[in-house]
Amino acid sequence: MSAVAAIVSDATIVDVEALLDTAVASVVAAVIVTLSASLAIYGFATAAEMRRTDRDLAAIGAGVLAAASSLVFAATIALGIYVMING
Amino acid sequence: MEGEIVLVIVVATALVFDFTNGFHDTANVVATSISTHAMSPRLAVAMAALLNFAGAFISIEVAATIASDVVEATAITPTVIFAGLVGAICWNLITWYFGLPSSSSHALIGGMVGAVIAAVGTSAVDGEGVLGKVLVPAVLAPIVAFVIGVIAIVIAYRVCGRLRPGPVTRGFRLGQVVSGGMLALAHGTNDAQKTMGVITLALIANGNLPATGFDVPTWVVVSAATAIALGTYTGGWRIIRTMGTRIIKMDSAQGFSAQGAGAAVILASSHFGYPLSTTQVIAGGVMGAGAGKRVSAVRWGVAGNIVVAWFLTLPGAAAIGAVSYGFTHIFGDGAAGPVVLSALAIALGLTLFAQRIRRGQPVPTA
Repeated sequence: MSAVAAIVSDATIVDVEALLDTAVASVVAAVIVTLSASLAIYGFATAAEMRRTDRDLAAIGAGVLAAASSLVFAATIALGIYVMING
Repeated sequence: MEGEIVLVIVVATALVFDFTNGFHDTANVVATSISTHAMSPRLAVAMAALLNFAGAFISIEVAATIASDVVEATAITPTVIFAGLVGAICWNLITWYFGLPSSSSHALIGGMVGAVIAAVGTSAVDGEGVLGKVLVPAVLAPIVAFVIGVIAIVIAYRVCGRLRPGPVTRGFRLGQVVSGGMLALAHGTNDAQKTMGVITLALIANGNLPATGFDVPTWVVVSAATAIALGTYTGGWRIIRTMGTRIIKMDSAQGFSAQGAGAAVILASSHFGYPLSTTQVIAGGVMGAGAGKRVSAVRWGVAGNIVVAWFLTLPGAAAIGAVSYGFTHIFGDGAAGPVVLSALAIALGLTLFAQRIRRGQPVPTA
């Protein structure tokens, strides 16, 4: 068994589960934050563009997307802080 | 009485380290916001200082790791902790002088381990704790941040890539205010706790706190939070330039992705008690956000220098910590050694600052 394999397999030295939890939590949080922010920007920019070209229905749809994505973004940040504070 | 004098010197030195930690790591927190013009330098640094202060109150998991999982609290003395802190501070100042964003955390752990080995031998080093709680996370965290940086920038470009650049830039700059804030909070949470851990360790070693049942006194939390916030506000502009413009030339989407990746990894790690290098995590995120756009967008030479500094930090700080302990030991086990070394360190620090001021430091005027 290689040294690395020994380290990874020996849970008393390296808590593999906690490390994996950390990595997964980081990836999930970052993906949700980036995706929601990107969709919010997309929604606001598209809504403005649609309003300029008098496509009101499309503008409303893009606005709803922007608002919903902004909410998800804010909620994810708030949840992250809440989890940190309350362990 | 001598023990109390050494303890006071150790606490003061730990707070100086905390100050240099904030000073050194300001770049990690604000460089991306500044380089993409999401915030003015002064505003970014002020916000980072405030949130660093707030972040220090969020959790004590990392402080517990530093105080109990790196070295044996019962086997060391305040003088050993002092020597370790000197090793960390010296390494921070050396890398700051050369503009290298190395890890303050690993400097601290390296300094402590080096001083402990010089004083007691390897038996007082918790090898499993260092490996499981420090070294393995140290290797994994920048890689995870790099991967997240790549994923985040791909998502951002896929969703917003076909829009007009104006609104997208403004949107991500606004997002950077939030992601930069989270990063500052994460930095305060992870890094201020290291000083709390060291001061707590000194209090245990001096007999002021019981070795069993980990508890950080409130004055330790407040003073560590204040020191890191003041250091952050003072700012290390030299490293800000390296981190903000020399690794990649960043747009606002990349800045947002890098900060988001860094904040997510540091906050999650703080929650699980891993004393990460925030420097390495942010640099990993910045490189990921650059490589996700185009691999050649990353200046791999600069990135390579930073990686070399990472590898040198633990042994470098450990060597200085060991030499510092050896020097203090010449004067016996009392307060004389720490007093003399503190005086010498202050003189050296003032000389370096005077030199930097004479040469002129690149401080932005905005």
